Amino acid sequence: MDSHLTLAIYFVYFCLGLIGIGMLSLFWFRIRSNRMEKKQELYLQKHQDYFKFIQTHLNGASDLPLPPGKLTKLERRVIQNKLIEWIEQFKGEIRDKLVKLCQDAGFVSEDIKLLDSLFYGRRISAAYRLGGMRAAEAVPRMLIMLEKQRYSPLTIVIARAIAKSAERGDQLKEMLHHLLRHGKPIHNMAADILMETGLDSSRLLLKLLEDENPDLVKVALVAMWGQAVPEVVPALDRLVGTGEKDVRAEAVKLYLSSNPVLKDDTIRELMADSDWEVRAAVAKSLGNTHAAGSIPLLRTALQDSNWRVRSNSAESLAKLGETGFEVLCQIAKNGSGIEREAALHQVEKAMLEEGEHQKLDQMVAYNKKKLLYERYFGVSESKPVRQVAAVGGDYTA
Amino acid sequence: MQQSEGITLLRDILLIYGLFATYYVMTVNVVYFSIMAFSFRNIMTIFRRAAYSKFNTLSGSELVPSISLLVPAYNEEVTVIENVKCLLTLNYPTYEVIVINDGSSDDTLGVLRREFGLEPLPNPEMRNSIDCQTINSVYYNPQYPHLYVIDKPNGGKADSLNAGINLSHYPLISSIDADSLLEKDALIRMARMYMENPEETVAIGGDVRIANGCVIENGAVKEISLPRKMWPMFQAVEYLKAFLGGRIGWSHINGLIIVSGAFGLFRKDYVIAVGGYRGGYPGEDMNIIIKLHRYMLENKLKYRIAFCPEAVCWTQAPDTYRILSNQRKRWGRGNLKNMIENYDMAFNPKYKVMGLLTMPYNIIFEALNPYFKITGLLALIGYTMLDMTHWRVLAVFWLVNFLSGYLLSIGALLLEELAFKRFKKLSDLVRMMFYSAIKFFGYAQLGGLWRIQGHIQYLRNNNSWGTMTRQSWQEKSDTAKSA
Amino acid sequence: MPNTTLQSRQEQTSIYLEIEQSVKETAQEVSGILFISCAGGPSYMETQVRGILESQPGLTYKIWNGEEPGSLFILLPGQTLDAVHFQGLLLKQRLQEIIADFDPRMTLASFPEQGELTQQVLIQMEDSVKDHASGEIHIFTREEVRASRSRILIVEGDATVREFLEIRLQMQGYETAVADNGLSALDLMESWKPDLVLTELNLYGIDGLPYIHHIQQLDVAQVPKIVVLTEQRVEQTISMCFQNGVDDYITKPFSPVELDARIRRCIH
Repeated sequence: MDSHLTLAIYFVYFCLGLIGIGMLSLFWFRIRSNRMEKKQELYLQKHQDYFKFIQTHLNGASDLPLPPGKLTKLERRVIQNKLIEWIEQFKGEIRDKLVKLCQDAGFVSEDIKLLDSLFYGRRISAAYRLGGMRAAEAVPRMLIMLEKQRYSPLTIVIARAIAKSAERGDQLKEMLHHLLRHGKPIHNMAADILMETGLDSSRLLLKLLEDENPDLVKVALVAMWGQAVPEVVPALDRLVGTGEKDVRAEAVKLYLSSNPVLKDDTIRELMADSDWEVRAAVAKSLGNTHAAGSIPLLRTALQDSNWRVRSNSAESLAKLGETGFEVLCQIAKNGSGIEREAALHQVEKAMLEEGEHQKLDQMVAYNKKKLLYERYFGVSESKPVRQVAAVGGDYTA
Repeated sequence: MQQSEGITLLRDILLIYGLFATYYVMTVNVVYFSIMAFSFRNIMTIFRRAAYSKFNTLSGSELVPSISLLVPAYNEEVTVIENVKCLLTLNYPTYEVIVINDGSSDDTLGVLRREFGLEPLPNPEMRNSIDCQTINSVYYNPQYPHLYVIDKPNGGKADSLNAGINLSHYPLISSIDADSLLEKDALIRMARMYMENPEETVAIGGDVRIANGCVIENGAVKEISLPRKMWPMFQAVEYLKAFLGGRIGWSHINGLIIVSGAFGLFRKDYVIAVGGYRGGYPGEDMNIIIKLHRYMLENKLKYRIAFCPEAVCWTQAPDTYRILSNQRKRWGRGNLKNMIENYDMAFNPKYKVMGLLTMPYNIIFEALNPYFKITGLLALIGYTMLDMTHWRVLAVFWLVNFLSGYLLSIGALLLEELAFKRFKKLSDLVRMMFYSAIKFFGYAQLGGLWRIQGHIQYLRNNNSWGTMTRQSWQEKSDTAKSA
Repeated sequence: MPNTTLQSRQEQTSIYLEIEQSVKETAQEVSGILFISCAGGPSYMETQVRGILESQPGLTYKIWNGEEPGSLFILLPGQTLDAVHFQGLLLKQRLQEIIADFDPRMTLASFPEQGELTQQVLIQMEDSVKDHASGEIHIFTREEVRASRSRILIVEGDATVREFLEIRLQMQGYETAVADNGLSALDLMESWKPDLVLTELNLYGIDGLPYIHHIQQLDVAQVPKIVVLTEQRVEQTISMCFQNGVDDYITKPFSPVELDARIRRCIH
């Protein structure tokens, strides 16, 4: 019996000891970090004049100096962090000038030394700051670091630092290789990281599109969103026919966003694609090309199993003049199920836009649609048909 | 003679049971210590990823997945405007806010319509991916292109969320309580975590903190401070322990059983695949996570349910006994229901960590915890009453209880200090230490009692939601300032 | 008493003339002028200042007394504005090293970068020190320029960017005001009536698009021009902004030189 009690008593002592240690370190951490913060605050204030000096003369011809007088280690860190904050916000020669200041002040070489520190935490924070300072000379060392790094959130910190600092395209490519070798589908993240580069991105992306590694191609495709790069259209044309499902979907979407002239066969093929993203993208683009010949295709697509495809098709039909709108009205009146739902929603949406047409031609187009609408649904029913579709078995979202 | 033999036997039984309860408590805490050890292992990574990620590129990028925020609101007319305004100003590229008015008896819908000039949409496109009650209508104003308000008859929180899912346009959904404020970066932090591993991540939970006592301005927490009242203060230390001490560790071994209903991010396709939220009972936030675990494991899909402690949601904690006890009873009821529904997962190796660790832990050490503790205490009190010379046994039982619990609280405070450093004042630290300690003199016991009452309610089929009165954020911050 | 004031005024005038003369006489194309006032400072300050300037090899300088006791004009021939500014930093730092808690006020300028040096300018330099309560080093701007300036309201949540924009736009000769959230920005637009609003979209208080819409609906005679400077790069948002009457849209990270040009284009 007593042995049980002894065990419990040991447990109590054990807890007491740990609690004591924990409380002491809590106070120690708190007091230390408060003191540190106060000091930083003080330094920021002390150098306010200097910061203003830097910001006033960023445009000048001469190099920027460090503040006069001796600086403590923490003081240097405070100044460095401020410089990094600016570098992150600017581009162009002003940024180069700040980068040069970081180099001249020795911040870069100090942090490169820290990349070999025994402590992991110091290595990571050094890499982060080096990225902030766009330190090209640190890239080879950071690439090795990235290669050794197990996949974790910090992989991305290092990759970002490399992307910011790299001065050659092949360094970026190597970075992407290390980043994607873990087999995770992180193309969006990789694209975002890639676009942090200060290098000419359109040439880089073109090169990546030619790469044999489908992951790199995909990163390039994703990165191209929102960047009109006309040079890449031929490369996209090739990728539209590729077997990689993800790559094809991205390529089709991008390709269509450049508003190309498509052959009817190609359209039909793409509208029958097994990937709904492809079908949705095509349906959407058909509305912009004003090709009345695509109305039958869009009409069929209103029955697509995917909601996005149906919705895009209806939207495109509404854009295709009177004929297209009439098809919508027909289905909204006489159709059934999911097909009718998509059409109805679109018809009502078009009718709602009434007040928004200021230009004459828009008014005319609207009034034509309104006439059609009244033909199908009657004038008296000017109150919109408010109803929510019945519960159905649509599991695409 | 016979009588004294009887007493001896009784004493032995009581003692053995008391010792058993002591060991039980020690085991619970050892398990908890191991979970917390995982938290400590991860805390520096969490600190670094938060410190070394700037969101200036991500927060404006087309590459970030779009998110639909679902905000169920039931009788929230005082706080809802402030919350929606806060949600509309998040640091995030593409998202929509869907407020679901769950048949409020107050003017929740009216204040929303007036504030944002909302008009009913003639043909709202509801996808019926999940069964939910038929809605009345959807309100919208093109001037606020990212805001939708669904009006529906009362059907509970789960049903509201399902309705929101049916309207939502984006692949990720996030459920947010209408009485919570998100930090500006909260969503982008979660999205960053999602983008790190988009295929396997099915859900991410956020950190919930107590806003009572903080100064709130323009829908944002301006000044962080601890609550001044007693009840919220207890909850503040309790949340700290549960979220930092517990969930970081559980998520490390992918055994997280709950993503707080106040703030979580989900992949919509999987939520639909498991049939959406389950209505009828509280605890739908735990239920959806269990279902997701079950679905992914049964279909042998690789997945993770993650916890993102740097994504913070500030919530209004109940500050009166009545509301708090109602909330806790509701939790107790919901948990019991979830455990009973999913008892088959426990000890089933098919369900891996979930089956072998999380579920047993939650059944044996969470749901049944108050019974063991209270009966153990009673047994030892009885034992001591029979023979006062053995008071030491009682003292040791109580000390084990207190100290191991307190150690966990101190550990949670350390985690907070290492990674987040949100509370700057030394006096705040002292207060948290103090409240963590006196929690064991009354509050912890009350917690156990509430849980038992919740279980009783469940068995009696009492299924009311209980009341929660809201105070407007404005008033709150006024009182915070004046104090 | 008025007699002595008159006398000192006359003396002072002759000093101004002397300074003007010295500037004209220097062989250098540019010359910097630094005015430093240490009201309440110790009497040996002038010696200290001389000592500090002396300690830098290759630096030539000339010193005159200002009107107020304890104030000095320092002429630094051959120094451009940034060099004068750095001298200011150095002087302040060294002086503070010698005398703790010492708060000298400075205004500095460089000519002909900032126009022609006249007696009027020197008086303005002396006066400007009094206007500024804080001990910051101040760069001189002409009053004439100030009167005709366009007003720009800077709305930005990030303190670093806000400060930078403020300094930069002031240097360009604009009058500026700042706000850190959408709601106080809207208030300022109504009360301060800026000609142009340079704003982030992602602000506390109000969502970006409704905010732009609110600006258009403001009850003011002339709705300010709107230039958006933001991290938000989503195409749809950008086009919605233009639809709502935004005049220009610049994404971060930005080139300050380009920003200057775009603001100039919007205002003229």
